[in-house]
Amino acid sequence: MRRYSLTYFIGQSFKGLWRNGVMSLASITVLMSCLLVMGSFSLLLANINYNMEEIGLLNEIVVFIDENSTDEQVAAIGTEIKGLDNVSGVRFISREEAHESEMAKLADHPNLLQRMSLDKEIYRHSYVITYSDNSRVSTLQYQLEHLENKGVSKIICRTDLAETIESLKSGITMIFIWFLAILMVVSIFVIINTIKLAVFARRQEISIMRYVGATNWFITLPFVFEGIFIGLLAGGIGYLLQWYLYTYVYNIIITDYNMISVMAYADISHYVIAAFLAIGVVTGIIGSSISLRKYLHA
Amino acid sequence: MIEFKNVKKVYPNGTVALDNVNLRINDGEFVFIVGASGAGKTTLMKLLLREEKLTSGSLTVDEFDLKKLSNFKVPYYRRQLGVVFQDFRLFPNKTVYENVAFAMRVIGEPSKVIRRRVPTILSIVNLQDKYNCFPRELSGGEQQRVALARAMANNPRIIIADEPTGNIDPKMSLEIMNLLVKIQKKGKTVIVVTHEKNLVDYFKQRVVTIGEGGVISDTVGGMYNAEV
Ligand SMILES: Nc1ncnc2c1ncn2[C@@H]1O[C@H](COP(=O)(O)OP(=O)(O)O)[C@@H](O)[C@H]1O
Ligand SMILES: [Mg+2]
Repeated sequence: MRRYSLTYFIGQSFKGLWRNGVMSLASITVLMSCLLVMGSFSLLLANINYNMEEIGLLNEIVVFIDENSTDEQVAAIGTEIKGLDNVSGVRFISREEAHESEMAKLADHPNLLQRMSLDKEIYRHSYVITYSDNSRVSTLQYQLEHLENKGVSKIICRTDLAETIESLKSGITMIFIWFLAILMVVSIFVIINTIKLAVFARRQEISIMRYVGATNWFITLPFVFEGIFIGLLAGGIGYLLQWYLYTYVYNIIITDYNMISVMAYADISHYVIAAFLAIGVVTGIIGSSISLRKYLHA
Repeated sequence: MIEFKNVKKVYPNGTVALDNVNLRINDGEFVFIVGASGAGKTTLMKLLLREEKLTSGSLTVDEFDLKKLSNFKVPYYRRQLGVVFQDFRLFPNKTVYENVAFAMRVIGEPSKVIRRRVPTILSIVNLQDKYNCFPRELSGGEQQRVALARAMANNPRIIIADEPTGNIDPKMSLEIMNLLVKIQKKGKTVIVVTHEKNLVDYFKQRVVTIGEGGVISDTVGGMYNAEV
């Protein structure tokens, strides 16, 4: 019965990491930076999405009704809106409902009360209109401004904002992808060189292992483990740094810009740690495999 | 049994190291390989070790056809062979014991087997008292005996020694050769590449002379060919 002990491979890979201390440290640092950039961008995008969902920015036009209108007038406006082309849904929000939800929000953020001059709009009924065709929003907006029934006090069409945020998001995503691609390539390159150095340091040992009949995987496994450890360390330390960074920014936003909602790190930390470790390990394996390719074919 | 048939080896740079080698070595034989420097003796050993692939012809070692042997199977093939080099190639930071145990560990022998077998092998090469020494504390002859012990660690059928006495003094050389003969008497095939006329003549074994890309003489109980 032939047995290979895991402790042998782990021990060898730690020795390797230690022997090439500077390169190992460089690999871990670069990979960790890569993870941090990726993590920060992802968290930013996640928060943008979260806020957009929360305020329901997309595909909505809100029509406020003059507070002096009668119930009949309000109903007539509703019917007319429903009859318009491109309208896919109309939701009525009474002034009572508006008031309640605003108060609920204020209860969540007490210090908001002092800042906000309470908006007149919460004393008005409104219709929240969703539409199906984005490209004909301006027509719809024009039609709403020129309804036959009078009594519309204000129309808020947040399409512009939604579009701005959408293009901002795709801009951020593009930068993010480029940055990430570059950092990934750099990480893999540095890991390749770290492993190559480790292989070089043990070349004599490797050649003797070959002569006595060691299999390729036996020879290369410690180096793959080395790559994995680099990935795990980068992922673990990166996770902690990301935590610190996020909480730091979170506290600034919460105290200074409390109109924006920020997801709590605790709610998303399990995704972050899973992603960091997975990407770290995969990068480590890719890096070490590339540097060992030559050996695997020999 | 080892059989070279019309073996040709051309290195990538165009050097024809071996042109047409025909040689058969039976199980349990002792063979000296001699020949001028650059004749292709080391190349012959490298082909046997499957460190180099032959260009044409055929080479079989027992059930292994080296022409067809896949990379994947090479490690298992090499476990049939034990190798010794002129420059010993020991690990300077491992003890004698560890140097031998290492060879067993890399093929996955359990520790129990290693602990039992290493002392036995060290006693064959008369190094049982030195198991805890580092290579730098040993003479050249002793270092080569450690290398020999390592070559035997996995109980190979064939021992290949490429100029094993090239770096050690004559008295020690005789001792190494005596050990190799002793190993052959234990039933192994032993192939020794050497330059040392005196030793070859002394042992009166089969002598194969390599030259001009092939075997130029092959004599049993022979003498070192004076012209080469
Ligand atoms: N890796 C190599 N690449 C190219 N030529 C080589 C290589 N190894 C050996 N040779 C050449 O092949 C010939 C035989 O070399 P070698 O087998 O080392 O001879 P020997 O061991 O008998 O002295 C020599 O001409 C040598 O220069
Ligand atoms: Mg030679």
